[in-house]
Amino acid sequence: MRILLALGCTVLVLSCEPGLSPPPNVEPGFGGTVYFERSTWPPADSLNNLWIFASQVYPLDSVKIFAGLFSTPPTIFLYPGFTASLPFFVDSLSYAFNLPAATYQYVGVLQQFREEISVRSLRVVGVHGAGTNPSQPLEVRVDDFQFIHGVNIHVNFHKLPPQPF
Amino acid sequence: MSFLLRYCLAGLFVFPSLLAQPSVGTIAGSVADSATGLPLAGANIVLRGTVLGTATNASGEFRLNRVPPGVYSVVVSMVGYQRAIVSDIVVIDAGIHSIRVALHPMLIQTEQVVVTASRREQSLQDVPVSVSTVTAEMIAARNHITLDDALRYVPGVNLMQDQVNIRGSSGYSRGVGSRVLLLLDGLPFLTGDTGEINWEVIPVHEVERVEVVKGAGSALYGSSALGGVINVLTRDASDAPRIRARVFSGLYDKPRFAEWEWSRQSRFNSGVMVSYSDKTGPLGYLMSVARTVDEGYRQNDAYHRWSVYTKLKYDLSSSQSLTVSGNLLQRIHGNFFWWRNLREATRPADDQLNGRVESVRGNIGFSYREFVSDRFFYSMKGIYFGNSWEDYMGTRRNYFSRSDLVSMEFQGTYEFSPRHILTFGAAGNYDRVNANLFGAHPGIGGAAYVQDEVDLLERLKVTVGLRFDWQKVSALPSTSEIHPKVGVVYSLDSETRIRASYGSGFRYPSISEIYIESPKNISQVPILPNPALLVEKSSSMEVGASSTLGSSIAVDAAFFSSSFTNLIEPGVAFNDANEPYIRFDNVTKARIQGMELSVNIEWWKRLFSTNLGYTYIWPRDLTKQTMLQFRPRHIFYSSATISLGHLRLSTDVRYVSRIERIDENLVRFAPIPQGDERVPINVIDVRASYDAVELGVPLRVGLNVNNVANYHYVELIGNLAPVRTYFLILEGIF
Repeated sequence: MRILLALGCTVLVLSCEPGLSPPPNVEPGFGGTVYFERSTWPPADSLNNLWIFASQVYPLDSVKIFAGLFSTPPTIFLYPGFTASLPFFVDSLSYAFNLPAATYQYVGVLQQFREEISVRSLRVVGVHGAGTNPSQPLEVRVDDFQFIHGVNIHVNFHKLPPQPF
Repeated sequence: MSFLLRYCLAGLFVFPSLLAQPSVGTIAGSVADSATGLPLAGANIVLRGTVLGTATNASGEFRLNRVPPGVYSVVVSMVGYQRAIVSDIVVIDAGIHSIRVALHPMLIQTEQVVVTASRREQSLQDVPVSVSTVTAEMIAARNHITLDDALRYVPGVNLMQDQVNIRGSSGYSRGVGSRVLLLLDGLPFLTGDTGEINWEVIPVHEVERVEVVKGAGSALYGSSALGGVINVLTRDASDAPRIRARVFSGLYDKPRFAEWEWSRQSRFNSGVMVSYSDKTGPLGYLMSVARTVDEGYRQNDAYHRWSVYTKLKYDLSSSQSLTVSGNLLQRIHGNFFWWRNLREATRPADDQLNGRVESVRGNIGFSYREFVSDRFFYSMKGIYFGNSWEDYMGTRRNYFSRSDLVSMEFQGTYEFSPRHILTFGAAGNYDRVNANLFGAHPGIGGAAYVQDEVDLLERLKVTVGLRFDWQKVSALPSTSEIHPKVGVVYSLDSETRIRASYGSGFRYPSISEIYIESPKNISQVPILPNPALLVEKSSSMEVGASSTLGSSIAVDAAFFSSSFTNLIEPGVAFNDANEPYIRFDNVTKARIQGMELSVNIEWWKRLFSTNLGYTYIWPRDLTKQTMLQFRPRHIFYSSATISLGHLRLSTDVRYVSRIERIDENLVRFAPIPQGDERVPINVIDVRASYDAVELGVPLRVGLNVNNVANYHYVELIGNLAPVRTYFLILEGIF
């Protein structure tokens, strides 16, 4: 009888435990803070746009950049969007970047310093993970229904990371 | 195929004199329970030193015809009873010699006979390695549709979907290159192309018994017996006409979460099997047809299956028999490789939605046995195993594979005395593969083995064995292997045995592992061949003890240690352009140690029985100094049965601890969204059955609820295991 009771209790306990369950319906992406080194901001006339970029491809060249930005589906994404820019002359800003679930091998901040859009008018001014190994950025893996926090980026306009192009 | 037929016919012509018999007699009798005096139906009767055997009918009676003059011993055995031997039965003419046998009930079955551990019949207690058995009754009661389901309840065994692990031996390689050798009636039964086990081609309804030998077994069985051997033994034809019909219908319940309800319709899993068996003179035959339709609890996971099975046994004389059997399976199966993501765990990825696999698989085999004298008998066996499958995406055929495998074997057993038995044999195999994934490649192999079993002392049995294997695959250099085994059994008393064994194992890489090549697979990562793959090797040691305490408790404990070298695993690597690719490589050196405890208890004169099995596994990757991938640390099973007359109520509890380490690169590059999500396995099954056969109504009724708690888990990453399922089973025997 004791064994039957023990088995019954086991069934009851396990009945309450669902095991795996579906994750909450979260829009995938990552977020964090961009820290700008004080007193290193360039003149305003060289600040046409400032974006956070996330690329599934690394290393990059000019062909891969434009293919990544304009292919369908794209493999390079810009925050806050191609026609918008991050604010200038701030010490830091927090961001939340929603984008498709994927592994992003290269995440950083991109400055457009001339008006025309070409590779020659772009430069990377900060990279996620650049503090550990400047030549090997830290990848960010975003799964479905997952938002990664703590993807911080340090920007020093006087000390640029290795350029990908 | 024609080769096999010619071989069988040649056998008949080579031994024609044996077809002519002198005057023969009959041994008839009855078997009853010594305590109650009631007749026992289904007791096995074997005439020692011959191929003659039968089983008692519903009245407990039996009849052995065509017995030549001589002095015989009859062995009578039945589950739950002590085996009885009636000696000195003299058959001198055409008369009927009657015997009466009273079997003594045993609450715990200790006299179980197994054939796999030493390639001959022996008591389970005399075996120097751990062996577990699954009986036809267990398979029928749990309504296992394929045999892998039955193995989930064997101590020390766990499955990753359909890939079997014995004491952590296998890990996961999507079935390719099984590290457990599957035998069908003693002959290798792995597919020729991928070297994997295909469970569906085994006629599960016609299985008499399954024996699971744990630990490396290549010294007797050759390649693939790295982690153990599973021998599936099919049943013989019945002595009297018998029609058996079995119908089941299963209903999948809804998952606990609305996100996982992919269909508004009820999903069923149903099947029907009909078999006819009889014996006409010296010829016994059994034929069965089975149809199974599973609508699946997941999207695009349905299958339709037909299978036809037949087995003929012809007693050429009292000392010779020829058995021919064959099976043909045709199946269409949706292709659910892994889930779309954990929020849609019952839906496959978009690119698998229209995928399906169509397969035709079949085997035909023969077995010829002859007792040359009281001391010497031999057997010759052969099997052809053909596999053909095609992978479709809509109407477009992506992949196909066709493999033909022929295995032949000769085995002789010489009994110098009951205390000294020599077993020896030779085997050969030919394999041919033609596939767009693997190319067109032949393989050929041969082997010779010998085993000596000696009772060195009254209480001490020693077994030593050695096997030589040679193999050549396509244009690659040939390889050869020599593997030994040694085992010791010491009887402390009539109830307690101590055993110790050492054995080694190896596995030739399968043709698929060597030659698979795909510019892109479903994960968009190319797969590259590796002709330089080396043979995997293992060695295993075990020390164990078994004992019966009183008459109602049986305990078996074992400590084991296995070492593996050159383990082949699929891995993701990067080329010079930093692009990922998949290739099979010899990557790992590993050690797996652990212990296993089994306790069987019969309560209240068998009204209530419980079986417990616990296995602790410590699997280490010595190359990376981490836990081995895809191995659990704890496996626990328990079952309990209450018998109330013809009503039986049972429950099974299955626990497998959370897999601690998986292949993160596989999750990442496949990719399998949330593929690393996993939990411990906690599954409870309950069932009730009512057997009216003894009441004169030829019907058994069963109601099973599998996964009664509707617990959600994965055995294989990215694959939600079955939800709660209700089965109604009707079985008629006429």
